[in-house]
Amino acid sequence: MRLTRKVNDIVLCVRNLRTYFFTEKGEVAAVDDISFDLKRGEILCIIGESGSGKTATALSILGLIDKPGAIVSGSILFNGTDIAKLSEGKMRNLRGNKISMVFQDASSSLNPVLRIGEQITESLVQHLKLDKKQTRERAVELLASVGISQPEERLDEYPHQFSGGMKQRVMIAMALSCNPEVLIADEPTTALDVTVQAQVLDIFKELKNSTSVLYITHDLGVVSEIADRIIIMYAGKFLEMGDAREVLMDPKHPYTKGLVGCLPSGKIKGRLVSIQGSIPNLIDLPEGCVFCPRCPDAMEICRKETPSETGISDKHSVRCHLYGST
Amino acid sequence: MKKGYIAERLLYTLIIAWGVMTATFVILRIGPGSPADRYIANLGAGHNVTQVTAAIETRYGLDKPLYEQYFEYMGSLLRGDWGWSFSTSMPVIELIKTHWVYSFQLILLSSIFAIVLGILIGIYSAVRKGTKADYIATFFSFIGISTPNFWLGIMLILIFSVRLGWFQTYYDTGLSTFSLANLKALVLPVVTLGTGMVAGYSRYVRSSMLENLRRDFVRTARAKGLPEHVVIVKHVFRNALLPVVTIFMWDMSAIVFGGAYLTEVIFGIPGLGRISFNAIFADDYAVVVAVTLIGAFVTLLFNLVTDIAYTQLDPRIKYD
Amino acid sequence: MIIEKHHREKIKKNKPAVLGLLFIILLFVTAILGPFLTRDPNEINFNDKNLPPVGFSIEQSMYNIKTQELEVTERKGSWEHPLGTDDRGRDMLAMLVSGARVSLEVGFLATGIAILIGTFIGVVSAYFGGWLDNALMRFTDVIMTFPFFLLLVLIVYMYGPNMVFVILAIGLTGWTGAARLVRSEVLSLRTLDFVTASKALGASDPHIILRHLVPNTMSSIIVIATLSIPGVILAEAALSFIGLGDPALVSWGKVLNAGQDSLVTTWWVAVEPGMILFLTVLAFNFLGDGLRDALDPKSE
Repeated sequence: MRLTRKVNDIVLCVRNLRTYFFTEKGEVAAVDDISFDLKRGEILCIIGESGSGKTATALSILGLIDKPGAIVSGSILFNGTDIAKLSEGKMRNLRGNKISMVFQDASSSLNPVLRIGEQITESLVQHLKLDKKQTRERAVELLASVGISQPEERLDEYPHQFSGGMKQRVMIAMALSCNPEVLIADEPTTALDVTVQAQVLDIFKELKNSTSVLYITHDLGVVSEIADRIIIMYAGKFLEMGDAREVLMDPKHPYTKGLVGCLPSGKIKGRLVSIQGSIPNLIDLPEGCVFCPRCPDAMEICRKETPSETGISDKHSVRCHLYGST
Repeated sequence: MKKGYIAERLLYTLIIAWGVMTATFVILRIGPGSPADRYIANLGAGHNVTQVTAAIETRYGLDKPLYEQYFEYMGSLLRGDWGWSFSTSMPVIELIKTHWVYSFQLILLSSIFAIVLGILIGIYSAVRKGTKADYIATFFSFIGISTPNFWLGIMLILIFSVRLGWFQTYYDTGLSTFSLANLKALVLPVVTLGTGMVAGYSRYVRSSMLENLRRDFVRTARAKGLPEHVVIVKHVFRNALLPVVTIFMWDMSAIVFGGAYLTEVIFGIPGLGRISFNAIFADDYAVVVAVTLIGAFVTLLFNLVTDIAYTQLDPRIKYD
Repeated sequence: MIIEKHHREKIKKNKPAVLGLLFIILLFVTAILGPFLTRDPNEINFNDKNLPPVGFSIEQSMYNIKTQELEVTERKGSWEHPLGTDDRGRDMLAMLVSGARVSLEVGFLATGIAILIGTFIGVVSAYFGGWLDNALMRFTDVIMTFPFFLLLVLIVYMYGPNMVFVILAIGLTGWTGAARLVRSEVLSLRTLDFVTASKALGASDPHIILRHLVPNTMSSIIVIATLSIPGVILAEAALSFIGLGDPALVSWGKVLNAGQDSLVTTWWVAVEPGMILFLTVLAFNFLGDGLRDALDPKSE
């Protein structure tokens, strides 16, 4: 499996991304100085609790952050171009075309009054400028590729006629329609039950060689199944990042340890169990390490200074005063 | 499944239609203003009152027991015998046949005017929410809803016909229906009737658009890189339209027909409202009753048609 | 209190609503005190006929019998008749004040009746459900199917253009909207726990309805009532306009009708009553909208 993966290419390069929301009650640093690379053909998982900023990161990449939020600083290099600074018109050419996104709740993410076929062919017509016959053929192919039987007939049906799992597959088909280089998936299996989840995950697994995937989730079980590399996110910041196996087998950050450690030892399975405490109010962030209030290993320095990134190995880094020289 | 729905709606419509006819009968018969009394009052002195009363009562079947009157009444309505109009010396049905066109063209044109403008303004205000344009539009919609339409008509006549001389002060009935002159003559009436409607519709469309702009599928559409106007019109508006259609449907009965009545009176358009008005002063009650009934029936028909059209718009309903 | 303090705070911030309320209060005061301070609206004085309002002057041609010529005279408005006069010399201001009284009386009484009926039907329908709900709603549908104004015209025509009948007619035909809204409110309340708890304690139906359900829908009822008043006032004005108003009373609609006939020569007779009607309706709409925003639980 790993032999066929192309490791050398970096398709998405995010540096020092900051996305803030300017609300009436104060400034929310949803994404606070995030940097990472997405390598070609890999599946990179971002894990975190809700409110950790993972969705904001994904939306920032696509330029879909709405008022009162905005990308404040940083760069997002896609094939060499900084798309954070791209005009809306050029950004639209990329969306759904070179970079696609799949959302969490397929039921509400599909337009209830338009036929499925119409919703799939929209992107094809918009970006690839295919004619009617070609778009229809391609749409049938796409539905078949995500495992929907009788695709020809189902193209003319409406979303409410599809089950939850099938709707999510349709969304994936839609996202893949123009052969994007990057597919961003925001918790696509959260709303589905376990058996259906497995089927959808299979689809992602098959994408490994053709499409680079940025997969957002809070489910460690999913991560262990499909991730090549993972990033642990908390309150808008990265806490730990690296090769999936390594991080899960040998977690360094107390938070990661908490996540992984909550599971029965041996096989890594199951969902996130709660750790003591909750995410801090993002408007009133404390100084120092953002995890400090909940950290069982907190030291004096943790309250005062934000830890910088320390390398554990060439495939594993962490932001924690326990390991870093500051 | 769809046929079942249509059949159900049809049955419901018939039941309500029956209810309408019965309610009208109740209004007519229960109460001090019996038709005979009014007719007598009109004839004035010089006739032997008791004799005339008896003759009229026999002629109108008012001496018969109430339930018999009811069946006769229902019977003649269904047969198409809606009475005789004293003031114009023709069967009421004839009167209606010759005059309904005028009401129809007024209401049709006003509705088109109101729907088109209402949708455009509504979408624009929603998309540009919070901007100056939005506030202006909201302000004008308040004005539009609050302006009494009969006063608006008179003001328009004052400004555009009397002072500026652009239009006639009274509708010329000699104009052929499909002529430009007719269209011009209908400008002020249509604006009069349509303004209140535009004000209402633009608000409904705006609020429905705002609700739908928040929905998840809008984000999906944008994430696909579709141009904004496609997102707004093809995705958001198509969904926003659904509840607005329902409101439009009920508005007809509540507001439009009454408004049309007054507009016809003011501009002298010989539609059903105007002939009802004339009938009131000629004390020709059969006409007044007939126009009321027609208003109710057209409302029913319109609601039925809109209901069925709605199933076309919302694919989720077809299969319920 | 039905309108609690924080609601009142919210309303105060809504400028149009406050302006509307002030205007309505002013109108009330005018209607009550006005008749004592102005002339008799029915006083006919041919010498003073067709006077324009204060500050305006108009050229009128009158035929002088003695000289057998058409004389063009300039007539100026004066403070004696600040808003001018109609073609019989009746003072416009006096007529408008008198009309204010009519409009407010009809507005509040007819709305009161309509709201009472509507609330009653809505509550009973929603609370008891079943065939009663069905029957009442079908009945409501029948009444709603009649175009409101046409039904009004029919009833007033049949029973006589009398103030009492006008009020009754409007009240008896205009309750349908309130019934629907109250019904849907009660439907959502009915399933709430405190109703079940009351029943478990053995409370009787009327008790539950009056003590629990109605007070909780009060804020909606107030909003509906305030927003219904303009429609009622307009309905009365429209009826008077087409001649179905009480002939003994002066109503804005009646004056407006007279105004249309003499539009060319005495435009103020048409402009003034319409303007005051418009402002009154606008005021109630602003107030009602403000109330709705303030009392809407969703926005809290």
